[in-house]
Amino acid sequence: MKIGLEVHVALPTRSKLFCSCSTADADQPNTNVCPTCMGLPGSKPYLNGEAVRIAKSVCIALGCVVNGSISFVRKTYFYPDLPKSYQITQIDGAIGRDGKIKLENTEIRIRRVQIEEDPAKLIREDRYSLIDFNRSGTPLVEIVTEPDIKSEKELKEFLYVLWSILYYLGVDIDKEIKTDLNISLGSNRVEVKNVTGIKNLLDAAAYEASRQASLLSRGNEPVKETRRYDERSQRTEPSREKESEEEYGYIYETDLEDYDTSKIKTGDIEADVRKTAKSIASRNGLDYDTIMQLVAFDRHSLSLLNHGLNSTAYDPSTILNVVEAGKRFRSSVNEKSFSLIAEYIKAGVQIDKEIMERIRKGLKPDYKTPDKLKIREFISKELENDPDILKRYRKNPKVIDFIVDTVSRKYGLPQKSVAEEAKKILTGEDD
Amino acid sequence: MEKSEFERLLKICRLDLDKKEKDRLKDDTEEILKYFDQISKVDTHDLRPAFHPIELQGQTRKDKVIRFDKSERLLKNTKTHRFFVLGPKV
Amino acid sequence: MSSLRDFSKKKKPEDYYVNLIQELERINGRLHAFNEISHDVDRGFPISVKDNICVDGMEATASSRMLKGYKPPFDATVVQKLKDAGFSVLGKTNMDEFGFGSFGINCISPARNPFDEERVAGGSSSGAAVAASIMKYHLAIAESTGGSISAPACFCGVVGFTPTYGVISRYGLIDYANSLDKIGFIARSSEDISDVFKLSVGKDGFDSTCADFKPLKKEKDRLVIINQLYERLDKGIKASFDRSVRRLSAKGFKIGYEDVNEIGYAVPAYYIVSMAEASTNLAKYTGFKYGEQLTDFSMDYNSFFSASRNVFGEEAKRKIVLGSFIRSASVRSMYYEKALKVRRLIINRLKEILDGSFIISPSMPVLAPKIEEARAFTPVQNYSMDVLTIPPNLCGFPSISLPSDYVGGLPTGMQIIGDHMEDLSILSFGKEWEKDFIYRFKYNIGEI
Repeated sequence: MKIGLEVHVALPTRSKLFCSCSTADADQPNTNVCPTCMGLPGSKPYLNGEAVRIAKSVCIALGCVVNGSISFVRKTYFYPDLPKSYQITQIDGAIGRDGKIKLENTEIRIRRVQIEEDPAKLIREDRYSLIDFNRSGTPLVEIVTEPDIKSEKELKEFLYVLWSILYYLGVDIDKEIKTDLNISLGSNRVEVKNVTGIKNLLDAAAYEASRQASLLSRGNEPVKETRRYDERSQRTEPSREKESEEEYGYIYETDLEDYDTSKIKTGDIEADVRKTAKSIASRNGLDYDTIMQLVAFDRHSLSLLNHGLNSTAYDPSTILNVVEAGKRFRSSVNEKSFSLIAEYIKAGVQIDKEIMERIRKGLKPDYKTPDKLKIREFISKELENDPDILKRYRKNPKVIDFIVDTVSRKYGLPQKSVAEEAKKILTGEDD
Repeated sequence: MEKSEFERLLKICRLDLDKKEKDRLKDDTEEILKYFDQISKVDTHDLRPAFHPIELQGQTRKDKVIRFDKSERLLKNTKTHRFFVLGPKV
Repeated sequence: MSSLRDFSKKKKPEDYYVNLIQELERINGRLHAFNEISHDVDRGFPISVKDNICVDGMEATASSRMLKGYKPPFDATVVQKLKDAGFSVLGKTNMDEFGFGSFGINCISPARNPFDEERVAGGSSSGAAVAASIMKYHLAIAESTGGSISAPACFCGVVGFTPTYGVISRYGLIDYANSLDKIGFIARSSEDISDVFKLSVGKDGFDSTCADFKPLKKEKDRLVIINQLYERLDKGIKASFDRSVRRLSAKGFKIGYEDVNEIGYAVPAYYIVSMAEASTNLAKYTGFKYGEQLTDFSMDYNSFFSASRNVFGEEAKRKIVLGSFIRSASVRSMYYEKALKVRRLIINRLKEILDGSFIISPSMPVLAPKIEEARAFTPVQNYSMDVLTIPPNLCGFPSISLPSDYVGGLPTGMQIIGDHMEDLSILSFGKEWEKDFIYRFKYNIGEI
């Protein structure tokens, strides 16, 4: 068996690859967008230096030769999620080449590491498609391996090693990873395009391996083709679209230039982060491994912890939540707001856009307990929204905890007062 | 250029032309390619391709978030559904 | 005399702008210089913007049906800079669709030449040149890829200036070919252009190919004529050009002749590079998001895209097909990569000449043809008309087209090419020429 992968992972920058829009999750589609990432006529790309820096660290971590001068190409193809109908990516001028990942018994060669932009998110509907450009322009690296993986076991091991290497660069492939899988048991190459997530990738490989093996056992050679993986049926099937190399018609992207990478400082990133994490841990009496997991070499989170964790002691779950909020509201969480966010979290308040607005204004959580009537109104509203709850409560009185939790989180109320009122309503005590 | 090759090219370009337009475009394409072929006579060994006419610096941007302040107007040019942009079926 | 200063000094009647717009609309009905005329202008020096350059809230169609209704929510950097300096956008000017043409006829209603309305205005910045030619006080923001400023400026008897590649930001320009596109100006004098040029340059955080303008200052009194180009001139144009050269010689310029054997390859190399880039730029037009929009989303996306792309004009389709072909893997090195090397060869050779001289030629090898004549040209005949304007454009050199003579009532132009960053030097050359050569105009709309 021969397996080669093209793995796409997102780089943890604050802004997109070619424009200044935020890469943070948004509550609404098409809000972190501008003329450039929507591909409007008249817009131009401008390269994010931080994406190049992180990509360079990825290359170093994968033992690649880092090209001293990099450039981009236009890969032209048509799909509704591709705003300009070409993707800005790299080939000859790619940032890295000729690397390798060591596994226990073998070595997987890395052919190329290239920087490219993510297309928009597309939702298929029966009679149209829905497109969200928030994701459009997110910086990715594509890691292209040689077809050196020889078994499903090696594939698993490779992914685990790749995951742990990238994790310390702040690149979390467990979260969102898209892979093109080349797999052949016979002499023809079969490509399974666009497999999302690690689990699906392993399942797709397993399915293909057995499909091709069974064809071969009957004396049939699997045909050279492009297939897609269907999550629901856990099978691969022939893809409708046939794309050949010819169709991409690569040309140099002349809206951009050649970029010198030799002067970009990556330092010994791993050592730097370890040092800072250790210092945070010792200062605050926290577990070093917890810190490492929290920051995952995400410089923003690291600096948040480093500067925000000074005075107060927090329990790990609060810290986790602050860092999560930091990741979500990347542009507006800073060291100053750290303690404030922690306070809201301790009060059981969910951090959302409105709360962030309060935090930006420096407002503390509102501890004043609203009058009982108000609390009861909130609880009744919740019960109306979900009439089944009462039935479930009758079967299992513990359901009350769920209601209390929901209401107190939603309205930022102390759990105790909500519990008191909820009990009265549900047991019918006050009638 | 073979007819089938030309048909494939039109497909790659997402152009769906009627017969008259197709025939004319095919003739034009052949005439222009013949005209282009003359550059093969130029000796260009040792020369680097000039992607740009002048040497450029290779400037990058700082990783700073700047909101596009008229983002709601971006959607004015499009048909939308629950803030999503509507597109053709895939 | 700078009309910018002249205009600001003059006391204008209260209804000046209302009358200006009214008169302009009346004449525009015949000449088709503008795609859209603004009714909101009540102050400032009136400028126009080529319709492939974005002005916040105004339609930007690049004279293509594909972009009908597209209203960008942003200003091009150059527009922003000039608005900030107090200029007012009077309207969007007509052009060949997406800039694809040398005569201004590749669009719905071609602009007409003010000197003879049966003739073309030149392209692709046809409307920009007509606007400058018919208004007493006006400056047109135009754009050139292969000669789209010089050609119409020459045919309409106005000054057309194309700067060094990359000194004016292209942010807000609807791309034709990104490594060739340059925003420039058309006006009635080199002095006006010089003033506005200085306001328009400078690095821009939205276009990374835009570089600092570092003017190169070299004293030059030598003008070089390239033999291989001179030989190709139409008889009448040759005689007229000779007269201009004699005038320059009398002014004290030394005239030299040089061979550039490779110059003939500039035109095919230019068209290969520009078509390869254009075909990718045109890929984004797929019938949703902006401009031409189909509504039957239940069609399969491939059929949907193809159906919408039918509204492209003939030359646009030609560029898509040829451009896609020459960048395909099997022939890329033969056409696209080869052309880029030819470009390097020509840059190197012309730089040798420009080291101590300017290069001079007529701007166009013919007089403005009649619209019907121009329509009858084959594509290759058409492309060959750019033989004089393509060398500086392919190489990113600044150039200026100055009205140089009048033959049978039609203006002719001469083109001066400088080295990279010699923009101000060739504008000074223009000012020198204008000291004793008086330009003629058929209209003076907005005269005070």
